[in-house]
Amino acid sequence: MKQLIELTINNRVYEVPVSPKDLLADVIRDKVRLTGTKKGCGQGDCGACTVLIDGEPVLSCLTLAIACQEKKIDTIEGLVAEDGQLHPIQQAYVDHGAVQCGFCTPGMILTSKALLDRNPKPSEEEIKRGISGNICRCTGYKKIVEAIFAAGETISTAGVK
Amino acid sequence: MYLNNFEYFAPKTPGEALDLVGRMGNKAKVLAGGTDLIIMMKEKMIQPEYLIDINNVKEFKGISYEPGKGAVIGAATKISELEYSPVIRDKYFALHQAAGELGSVQVRTMATIGGNSCHASPAAETPTPLVAFGAKVVISSVSGDRELPLEEFILGNRKNALGEGELLTQFILPEPAPKSASRYWYIGLRDAMEIDAVNMAVNIVLENDGRTVKELTLVMGSVSPRPLVSVEVPGILVGKEFNSELVEKAAQAAAGEAKPISDIRASAEYRREVTAVLARRLLQAAFDAAREV
Ligand SMILES: Cc1cc2nc3c(=O)[nH]c(=O)nc-3n(C[C@H](O)[C@H](O)[C@H](O)COP(=O)(O)OP(=O)(O)OC[C@H]3O[C@@H](n4cnc5c(N)ncnc54)[C@H](O)[C@@H]3O)c2cc1C
Ligand code: FES
Ligand code: FES
Repeated sequence: MKQLIELTINNRVYEVPVSPKDLLADVIRDKVRLTGTKKGCGQGDCGACTVLIDGEPVLSCLTLAIACQEKKIDTIEGLVAEDGQLHPIQQAYVDHGAVQCGFCTPGMILTSKALLDRNPKPSEEEIKRGISGNICRCTGYKKIVEAIFAAGETISTAGVK
Repeated sequence: MYLNNFEYFAPKTPGEALDLVGRMGNKAKVLAGGTDLIIMMKEKMIQPEYLIDINNVKEFKGISYEPGKGAVIGAATKISELEYSPVIRDKYFALHQAAGELGSVQVRTMATIGGNSCHASPAAETPTPLVAFGAKVVISSVSGDRELPLEEFILGNRKNALGEGELLTQFILPEPAPKSASRYWYIGLRDAMEIDAVNMAVNIVLENDGRTVKELTLVMGSVSPRPLVSVEVPGILVGKEFNSELVEKAAQAAAGEAKPISDIRASAEYRREVTAVLARRLLQAAFDAAREV
């Protein structure tokens, strides 16, 4: 039942053998071996598995890998620049102490990126609404909201994406 | 939490999709956003032999609007597209509101308007305003199309009027009347990512005087197995000048019509109580908005 498909992840094309039933989260972690993407609830509730597909935040635990051919998939690993420099959102999370155990962080950062791509200067309310599908057991969210706010400022002044 | 084995099809044209749905019948399930379907498969509630992914059929997607005629929305249109659509916001505000309250940003990116009505959860967000707008659905098969009011399409929890070999392809929304406005809201136990205890939509049309109610639809969700269209509320308000006394009477009438159940999320008593609260707020908000247009 397995077939070879091409997945474009972080601008690189991977050829992977999949069955139709394989979920994107499992394929990214176990076959492509990019383990930044996390799997928490597996039911759409926690957001840990969030990846960007064509720039939009999607739950990879509810997405079939086979349905993602010819799409542009971005995971947390793709945010870091070639020279190792962190993306401004990642940097803001570090600077604001918005990472504790780190389990929610990849999904949270990708959701933040989708939010800031749409609206570089979100209000506190808009940020809270934007990340309501990402659960964090550690930080209490306050520092995450501050980090996203600060990242928005950096991005809109520096004009980076 | 793994899925059963199945064969996967991704048709690119309406013809291919309808042909597959026709040939595979009950052994197949249609995959739209997957936000209900994949969960049901993970929980082994269903184990389809075939999945027909309709996301690559561009004719099933998108919102078109023609002034004077209304809007046509493809069944595979994402909830986030409704949320951000200027036409939906301007003309069908209650649907804009409901779309923005469905799940999380990730869920809205994935989920479709068709999946929301097909899955037919009594707590679903979008059927309530769609019924309030008098939306019709287009049901297609290899032998042609038929239309049905959405109200008759949703039969109860997870039950819809699709027969074997049929696909839901479009929603047709009539042009809003002049001097009309709509509002939607819900009450749940917390704000985000919550399954509604009660949701409601009101669509009101005023006479030229801006005070007299010409037409009114009030639809309740989550207080009955399917969207419940109030009979009594229009009876109380239509033809009358809008005032707070009548609104109070209407709110009590709506609460009386609701047939809620007690479950893990709320008691029947609480649901009936908040039905009155929502009715009061939404009637007033829709009336205020209709005066402005
Ligand atoms: C975390 C989470 C939160 C959620 N929150 C909400 C919420 O707040 N409010 C709410 O209303 N819902 C909510 N949902 C439920 C779900 O997202 C919606 O019901 C959604 O609209 C389903 O659409 P879909 O495209 O994902 O459907 P799918 O899961 O793809 O399909 C659902 C069912 O409909 C059938 N189907 C889909 N499209 C068609 C078609 N065109 N023709 C024939 N059959 C079809 C499928 O075969 C399947 O049986 C939530 C889900 C999750 C995972
Ligand atoms: S693992 Fe996907 S939402 Fe929790
Ligand atoms: S940092 Fe631990 S879950 Fe968010």
